[in-house]
Amino acid sequence: MAHKKLTRRNFLRGLTAGAVGAVGLRFANQGRASGPHGESEYKWAMVIDQEKCIGCGYCTLACRAHNDINPDISWNHVFELDEIGERKVYLPRPCMHCEDATCVQVCPVKASYHRPDGIVMMDYDLCIGCRYCEVACPYGARSFNWKEFTGENPAVPEWGYPEVERRPRGVVEKCSFCYQRIDRGLASGLVPGVNANATPACVSSCPTRARIFGDLNDPASEVSQLLAAHTNFRVKEDLGTEPRVYYLPVREG
Amino acid sequence: MKQLTRIITPYRIWMMGLMSLIGIGALSGLLVLIEGLSLTNLTDLVPWGLWITIDLSSIALAAGAFSLCAAVYILGLKKYEPVAKTATYIGIIGYSMAMLCLLMDIGRPDRFWHAFVYWNPHSVLWEVTMCVGLYFSVLLLEMLPIIGNTPWMKALFPWLSARLVKVHHIAPFLAVAGLTFSMLHQSSLGATYGVLKARPIWYRPGLSYLFIISAVLAGISMTLLASMLSDRFSRRARVNDRLIKSLAVFVGWGLLLYLYLRFWDAFSMTYSHLPGRTEGFRMLTSGTLAFNFWVGEIILGILVPAILLLYKRTRDQPVIRMVAFAMVVGGLVAYRWDTNIVGQLVVMTYQPLDNVVRYISYFPSLVEILIGLGIIAFGFFAFTIGVEYLNIVNHRQVHAHQERTVQPVVAPAD
Repeated sequence: MAHKKLTRRNFLRGLTAGAVGAVGLRFANQGRASGPHGESEYKWAMVIDQEKCIGCGYCTLACRAHNDINPDISWNHVFELDEIGERKVYLPRPCMHCEDATCVQVCPVKASYHRPDGIVMMDYDLCIGCRYCEVACPYGARSFNWKEFTGENPAVPEWGYPEVERRPRGVVEKCSFCYQRIDRGLASGLVPGVNANATPACVSSCPTRARIFGDLNDPASEVSQLLAAHTNFRVKEDLGTEPRVYYLPVREG
Repeated sequence: MKQLTRIITPYRIWMMGLMSLIGIGALSGLLVLIEGLSLTNLTDLVPWGLWITIDLSSIALAAGAFSLCAAVYILGLKKYEPVAKTATYIGIIGYSMAMLCLLMDIGRPDRFWHAFVYWNPHSVLWEVTMCVGLYFSVLLLEMLPIIGNTPWMKALFPWLSARLVKVHHIAPFLAVAGLTFSMLHQSSLGATYGVLKARPIWYRPGLSYLFIISAVLAGISMTLLASMLSDRFSRRARVNDRLIKSLAVFVGWGLLLYLYLRFWDAFSMTYSHLPGRTEGFRMLTSGTLAFNFWVGEIILGILVPAILLLYKRTRDQPVIRMVAFAMVVGGLVAYRWDTNIVGQLVVMTYQPLDNVVRYISYFPSLVEILIGLGIIAFGFFAFTIGVEYLNIVNHRQVHAHQERTVQPVVAPAD
């Protein structure tokens, strides 16, 4: 009996459900699962030359000073990989700023997002600290603020001065390609990758010029030239994350 | 002496014990909120630990609510209505426990509502959060007529009680909504792990199916175990053994199906070496998680209870049946723990073209354990309150005509 009485209601409910579904589909189609959207004339990338890296760790320290990072955390860790004869081989690891970034896909609140120029950014005001992005990142590039960072930054002033706000306890943070230096540099007519003040701190501070930064959209930029001239690789390329950090392997002989 | 035994009843000891665990847990929780998650043994390599396991387990053990409500209101198996009532209440407890765990676990509990406002529909975890929130509302609505029907509500607030009971009319719709939200997030909790290409041991489609099937079986088992235990220990609870036995048969066959799917899921992982996945699988089958995997998940979690529940002679013994249900519940917790932890304990290095894998370890810190115990004690406490005051386990409401339909389902009367 109850079934008959409710037929119209059922129909209306079905209609509502269909409408909700259609809206949902539209919403889901609005944006790709990941990848930078919007217009930008730049496509920032970093090239790291393993031939030149001596593992001094200046990049890590300059990064800590300019981004005001807790000494327990490295946005920019330098891994010692191997030894070839007498020489050690290093792999410095910033955030890879993947085009198909898993962290952006999995973040439940869009605290991780792409800028149109490809930089994977963190919105520290949105982050709820669930750490799904940490679990999802294939590169371990993300760090959680387990403790509040109070007091002086030991890397300041020797390695530079903070340019961004310190993050609160309970959010995830990571390398931002020093977006603040790029943006301020561009605003004052400098060229990121050419002028040190418009270039990520790790690149500017590298004593052997093992790190090069620049625009992949510009075929004349040093990064484009290096990638055209040398064999290069990206870490865990098989995952399809399309990192924007390229490595030039050690060239023997 | 006589007076003393009248004051110190087993019920009071039980409740006092639970309340002290809840108290200790609450104090530890406060400490973590003040001092931060650095008090835990979680790290950037193992960011999800004991609390996430309790969260996953309590959501899974709450799955009896949607499966039994779907059976009653959608498939029309009305005789299970009293069991569905118990399951609904356990559902509310389970989801409350899960939300408490998450509130402890996230770094910014003050921003728990962000997922409801700042949508990322591409994130599985966003979908889980939305479904958990919506499903919890459905459960609360399903709970209203149960509260309205309690004798004390009827006596004290007859007007309100009548209004609450009326919510029962929309029960079929609530069941459809509940089924949708529940099925979505019970499976997508598996997908939360299954979509992560960064962790090859997780990266497979099967996790979603395995998560929902294990949740349905263990959720029903949890409901039946809790009902039978309350029947033993409380005058206010009465169960109908025939109802429970017919569901026990369902759980038994379900376990065999689950074992079949687990077998092929595991078997496919033994072929060829995939860095990270093979190491993770080795950790489960012969490494540090081997005991959990073989004994907890497979033998005691699936095989033994399947036999005990399908073999009539063992099924007819209430104690053995309860043990079997407890094993299914334990097997689910072991499965959730192993799945969550195995992907994090296998760390892949950065060496290009040379896949070196490193094993790490994790053991929860004291505050993690105390808070976990507090949350579990809260679950037991809330259930006991339900049995004593909300008439939550009562199979006597089964009507005569419904009784008759029970008989053909089960074997000849005992």
